Amino acid sequence: MRYLLRRGLWTVVALLGVSVVIFLLVHFIPGTIVDILGGGEGQLSPEQRTAVMHEFGLDRPLPVQYAYWLGSMARGNFGWSFRSGQPVGQLLVSRLPITIELAVLSVAGVAGVGIPLGILASVSGSLRVKTAVQVIGLLGLSLPNFWIAVLLIIAASYLFHWLPALIYVPPWTQPWVDLQQMFLPVLSLALGLAAVVVRMTRSSMLEVLGQEYVKVAQAKGVTRAGVLLRHALRNALIPIITVLGLQMGYLLGGVVITEQIFGLPGLGWMLLNGVYQRDYPVVQATVMLFALTFIVVNLAVDLAYTYLDPRIRYQ
Amino acid sequence: MAEGHAGARTAVSWLGARGSRVRWWRALRRTPPAMIGAAVVGAVAIVAAAAPLLAWNNPVAQIAKPLLAPGGPYLAGTDQLGRDELSRLVFGTRVSLYVGVLAVLVALALGGTAGLLAGFYGGWLDNVTMRAMDVLFALPALVLAIAITAVLGPSLTNVMLAIGIVYAPTFARVARGPTLTVAQLPYIEAARAVGVSTPAIMLRHVVPNISAPLLVQTTVSLSTAILTEAALSFLGLGTQPPTPSWGLMLSDARQYMLIDPWIAVLPGCAIAITVLGFNLLGDGLRDLLDPRLRLF
Repeated sequence: MRYLLRRGLWTVVALLGVSVVIFLLVHFIPGTIVDILGGGEGQLSPEQRTAVMHEFGLDRPLPVQYAYWLGSMARGNFGWSFRSGQPVGQLLVSRLPITIELAVLSVAGVAGVGIPLGILASVSGSLRVKTAVQVIGLLGLSLPNFWIAVLLIIAASYLFHWLPALIYVPPWTQPWVDLQQMFLPVLSLALGLAAVVVRMTRSSMLEVLGQEYVKVAQAKGVTRAGVLLRHALRNALIPIITVLGLQMGYLLGGVVITEQIFGLPGLGWMLLNGVYQRDYPVVQATVMLFALTFIVVNLAVDLAYTYLDPRIRYQ
Repeated sequence: MAEGHAGARTAVSWLGARGSRVRWWRALRRTPPAMIGAAVVGAVAIVAAAAPLLAWNNPVAQIAKPLLAPGGPYLAGTDQLGRDELSRLVFGTRVSLYVGVLAVLVALALGGTAGLLAGFYGGWLDNVTMRAMDVLFALPALVLAIAITAVLGPSLTNVMLAIGIVYAPTFARVARGPTLTVAQLPYIEAARAVGVSTPAIMLRHVVPNISAPLLVQTTVSLSTAILTEAALSFLGLGTQPPTPSWGLMLSDARQYMLIDPWIAVLPGCAIAITVLGFNLLGDGLRDLLDPRLRLF
């Protein structure tokens, strides 16, 4: 319980730290918001400039500006987009489901394919399987996911004469069309990571399978599947979960590129367009949300440890 | 911590006498994947160094019809603007290695120094530094890199800086751990007792003993740095046209990939081969110098 409190507190501190980093980053951008909005120097008289600066609160000391920004975010006000004038909070809410769908399907794919294949590879004593798993794992680390995405598009159009619809369709209107659209993006994100998970699962399982209690389980007549799944896998899961958690960082980065390539208007797409159009409220808010997601995932991974292995008790 | 000392000793002897350098080379030769990695990295470095000799045409000159298939006068065909694809790939090697190596050096300088100071002095300095690094860790690497390049503006130098900052926390962690151990050893106390100055102790007595894990981290980071540069250039936030960069070439190819798949396939191959080489070499070095760091 005390651990939970401390861990929760650290989550808040980390988020505050991230917010300081983002605030300072945006503050260091050459030129002020006024120049960006007003289209360069000379458009506004000095008096007008001062008036606009005052309106945006830019004439106040830095810590005051930061506190004001933080306070309004805490109340759910993420500011307004420089370009479209829409509230950024509303934009976030409309983009978020697409990114969540992409990330959840990818993680499900990575775990659903990677872990079973890794278990199968750990049972096989063949040297060929061992080498294959190692080579595939290394390829998964080395092939850029945006290249895999490009290759998948080429392959789909040349071999199957098929390309997914270009305008995004949410799953609740036409689930089948939506799944078709998500298929290639999810595949491009999941392939590389799944290869790494196969390699990790295999080596983690092999380590556990050599333990005494596995022999005991076999000796007392537990079925093969029972030994593998109930006794070995549960203990092998911790390093696998760790790697999956670490991969969320790659995945969240990969989401940005994947959404761009496949034209999915999610959070990553929003972040990039914010960057291209110098729409800083949008950039600030999306980066904050990415950080929040990553921090929460890491928290979940830590909590999963205690669930999987009751021996782990944090002080 | 016995293994730690062994690892540290390997590094010292490797940096020291010539005889042990030979032994180190023999050990590396017995690990085939690491040798393949070293060969690939060596080949890539030679291509980068000899780029003007290997590429017959100016990589930015429009000299032929656009989108010619590979074969014929232009071995790898031409791109969408009629530039020699092979020349662009060859000169792209320079950009990738240049950005990758300098970015990792930035990360090593920033993170390595921070970790060394944090581990050596401990106390509040350690706490503040490592918590600051944790905050940077709380952001997905590519998202942080995008945010930094957005602020600095897209250019080769800024991409290098951004990647360097993003990977600095990893180096800080890798440097801090062994420093904590080494700083407690009797010979450090002895050095202090005979009046060696603190900077000299750190540089001459601590740094050589934490260099093994840092060397491994440097090699492994080169592959991620090259991948990140390619990703940022792919997004238009890195190298700017007409500079030939693999990520940028791949990005340009997207509009034409259904007419001429080659211009999308080749730059990706170049990235994959280079990154694979560094990964193989890094894995091999890790097994050799610091078995505790093995991930698989």
